[in-house]
Amino acid sequence: MEHFLRHFFVPHHSNNHRAKVLHIDSLLCYVLIFAIFNFGIRIAHRQFPNVLGYATDIRVDQLLKETNAQRQAAGLAPLTYNVTLSQAAAAKAQDMFANKYWAHNSPQGKTPWMFIQAAGYKYTVAGENLAKNFATSQGVIDAWMASPTHKDNIMKPSYRDIGFAIVNGVLAGEETTLVVQMFGAGEAIVEAPPVKTVVPEQAATSVIGVQSEEKPVAVEAPQELVPVAGANPTPIINVITNAFSSVLITPKLNIPTLTRDIAFLFMGLLIGILVIDGIVVSRKKIVRVAGHNLAHILFFTALFIALSIVRRGTLL
Amino acid sequence: MKLKHVNFIVLLIILISGIWTFWGAQNDKVMQMYIGVATAIAYVLWGIIYHSLEGDLHPKVVIEYCLVGAIAVVLLLTILWT
Repeated sequence: MEHFLRHFFVPHHSNNHRAKVLHIDSLLCYVLIFAIFNFGIRIAHRQFPNVLGYATDIRVDQLLKETNAQRQAAGLAPLTYNVTLSQAAAAKAQDMFANKYWAHNSPQGKTPWMFIQAAGYKYTVAGENLAKNFATSQGVIDAWMASPTHKDNIMKPSYRDIGFAIVNGVLAGEETTLVVQMFGAGEAIVEAPPVKTVVPEQAATSVIGVQSEEKPVAVEAPQELVPVAGANPTPIINVITNAFSSVLITPKLNIPTLTRDIAFLFMGLLIGILVIDGIVVSRKKIVRVAGHNLAHILFFTALFIALSIVRRGTLL
Repeated sequence: MKLKHVNFIVLLIILISGIWTFWGAQNDKVMQMYIGVATAIAYVLWGIIYHSLEGDLHPKVVIEYCLVGAIAVVLLLTILWT
């Protein structure tokens, strides 16, 4: 056993004075093993999604409560849940899955405002935030608040109404959970005459639009609920009756947790073995043909830090 | 200052720049992938130049740096796309 450990983890004449796990053939094995692991995870997820999947718990009531908590903390009025805006958000999410895109504007040129108008919401000002593949409602809100353009939408004082859709489907061959958040305000609350603005598709990660109409008409939302911070969210759940109010997935094994644990354990072990290898070689003053251990340690440490930054989900 | 020290300062600059830009692209996983691959390539090139200057460049060393870079890329893929 001792010989085995020394051969694999400590520079010794039996391993040509380089820990066997750091030999070129071993390094090649790691590349192949992780490549196969990646493919294997995807195949296993498709075959057994209930066993190996992406744990997700995103709910409209939580998103609404957190959005309004952020606004109220900044001294702004809470937004009113609006069913029409939620219908627009649901139509937008379904359109993204149907036409296979992840953008504010569809490949056919449909803007977020078209979905809002089609749903029957007449707005003077409107906005849209998108998120995909987050694990929790809090994760979505935290990411939006950390992004200046999305935060601007959430904190915009002129908005009065808000709608959400949370939809699970397949986008670009991958299981995807989309969150669409749409903001709006009726014409009655805007004093200045509306000005048409053109928002280029690539200009911002979140967008704001202003509808231009010659005869502004105040519109009442079909169903409204004014949320109260700290109140029991049950009444909100009762109002949100559509099929896009939550995505709850609880697989036996959560893929992001599994892959992160394995990757970080592997990096930790590799850094540890490089440190031991470097110390032994330095003490015994062994001269060998090999890469610089300190450089590898710094590189893998940088990789460790960079991968620690990665969070689940992306915004648009 | 020894040439070795200069080389390691250059390496630290490459790695810190890589982490900083990677952090800056938090909402864009494709960009993070490009940054990760670019940093890995920069590391491989640094390794080749470093050993060349040290006078101990050997094909085995080049392969080792390439494989270390490849391990970083597959780990990046593992975390970003699963």
